[in-house]
Amino acid sequence: MEVKEQLNNVTAPADHLLGKRMPAKPLNKAAIVTRLTLFILAALTVYAFYSFDYKELDFMDALLGTFANLKTIFLEPHLKHFSFGHALYQVMVTLGLAFLTTLFGAIIAVLFGLLAAENLSSKRVSIVIKSMVAFIRAVPTVLWVLIFAVAAGLGSTAAVIGMTFHSIGYLIKAYSESFEELDRGVIEALQASGANWWQIVFQAVIPSSITYMISWTFLRFEINFAVAVAMGAAAGAGGIGFDMFMASSFYLDMREIGAITYFILAVAITLEVFAARIKRKLNTA
Amino acid sequence: MTALLEVNHLTKQFGKDSKALTDVSFSVQEGEFVSIIGPSGAGKSTLLRCLNRMIDATGGEIRFQDLHVMDLKKKELKQVRTKIGMIFQHYNLVNRLSVIENTLHGILGTKSTLAGVIGYYSKEEKQQAAQILNVLGLNEMIYKRADQLSGGQKQRVGIARALIQNPRMLLCDEPIASLDPNSAKVIMDYLKKVTATMGITVIVNLHQVDVAIKYSDRIIGINKGQVVYNGSAKGLTSEDIQRIYGSEAEDLIFDIGGIHAG
Repeated sequence: MEVKEQLNNVTAPADHLLGKRMPAKPLNKAAIVTRLTLFILAALTVYAFYSFDYKELDFMDALLGTFANLKTIFLEPHLKHFSFGHALYQVMVTLGLAFLTTLFGAIIAVLFGLLAAENLSSKRVSIVIKSMVAFIRAVPTVLWVLIFAVAAGLGSTAAVIGMTFHSIGYLIKAYSESFEELDRGVIEALQASGANWWQIVFQAVIPSSITYMISWTFLRFEINFAVAVAMGAAAGAGGIGFDMFMASSFYLDMREIGAITYFILAVAITLEVFAARIKRKLNTA
Repeated sequence: MTALLEVNHLTKQFGKDSKALTDVSFSVQEGEFVSIIGPSGAGKSTLLRCLNRMIDATGGEIRFQDLHVMDLKKKELKQVRTKIGMIFQHYNLVNRLSVIENTLHGILGTKSTLAGVIGYYSKEEKQQAAQILNVLGLNEMIYKRADQLSGGQKQRVGIARALIQNPRMLLCDEPIASLDPNSAKVIMDYLKKVTATMGITVIVNLHQVDVAIKYSDRIIGINKGQVVYNGSAKGLTSEDIQRIYGSEAEDLIFDIGGIHAG
């Protein structure tokens, strides 16, 4: 009997809602702002397409032309201005640029990552490093390369310094967050037995977060590979990117662009497979 | 028998006005098995952590082997900590490392920084670790990763890590609170047996009054940061328990007569 009464009490407040229309999403300020934004964006899009200067361009023709170009690039690739061996060598140069910058970045980032992790350092040091890192990351890699090019001159030196700089910022954030994942108790246990900071770092912190660290480092390596290709073209850092730049802007050879794209794709896939295999090994070890 | 540990008028304050410990005084004899009981939030864990200065007390005095623990410098404190083992409710092992590696972590405090960093241990140290694990019945698990063990086994690794320090005193912070009754009994039996044979003093925080009565020489009851009972385990009456746990003690799920009879 008592139970039934309680049940009645529970259902009672809902009664007044029955019979009325009950929207799943109440129309509050946030919802209105969202809808207004979407509407304005849609209106702007329509207006933009309406006001483009098409220069008597036929849309269908242009589309077909693009597809024809894509077909030339990807289905008829060839190498004309350099040999397969040269292309392979240039890919290695680009890979080398990515590897070097990731390696430098990782080594420096481990140290600063430890200082940036709140559970391993003081709150003040952590905040200072984290805000500096946020600033470094906010500026794109390409811009850092161009900034360092002022001192080092446009070329591979500026590319290495600039890319390393951004890698450091990226990896400090990634590493320090994986360090912070570590259970506070593990650090406490080692402190209680008299172990010092370095011993705790190398015996507990790094073994616990090594898989995260490796997967973040590989992710950065892949990003650096892509950036290194772009740097070859934009900053004259050499490698396959420079050949691609020459093929597209200098020789206007679309088939060669296709061949280079396939080269880059093959390397990227190899990297991905390699990274996955290493991670699996670490997880089962 | 001499007092290994002496605590005089210890107070700990968090923030401005929340007192965790108020004027706590007691002493522990060499080789004694002491349980600290009390309701959650009474300050048991805080008290334990003040003893090896994982938490710095606000006032009072702690003497361990005639050393004033609260005045020690960083280096001397580390030295004292190598003589005090600690065991935790959540074991606090490094999950990705093997059982023996976790055990050897106990002697990091006595090693040079470099040897600790690269994880270099001498043959004797490894043999000692294997021997301790053998005593604790973990000889087949030596190379297993810590996260593959059951809760009871993990806690035994925790005990091994504390024992390899060759400690004078063990601090146990609710060592059986996360274990089922069987594993809890195994852990308490090991703790009692090993420390008795090695002559190690034990201070253990417990939630289970019956366990405390069964295993310890002496019980310290704490309520709201104050010592309300300090005496032998046998002398603990139901009035004392009521004083320690407050008015709801009557509803506690055990029967004190039964405990003493058992």
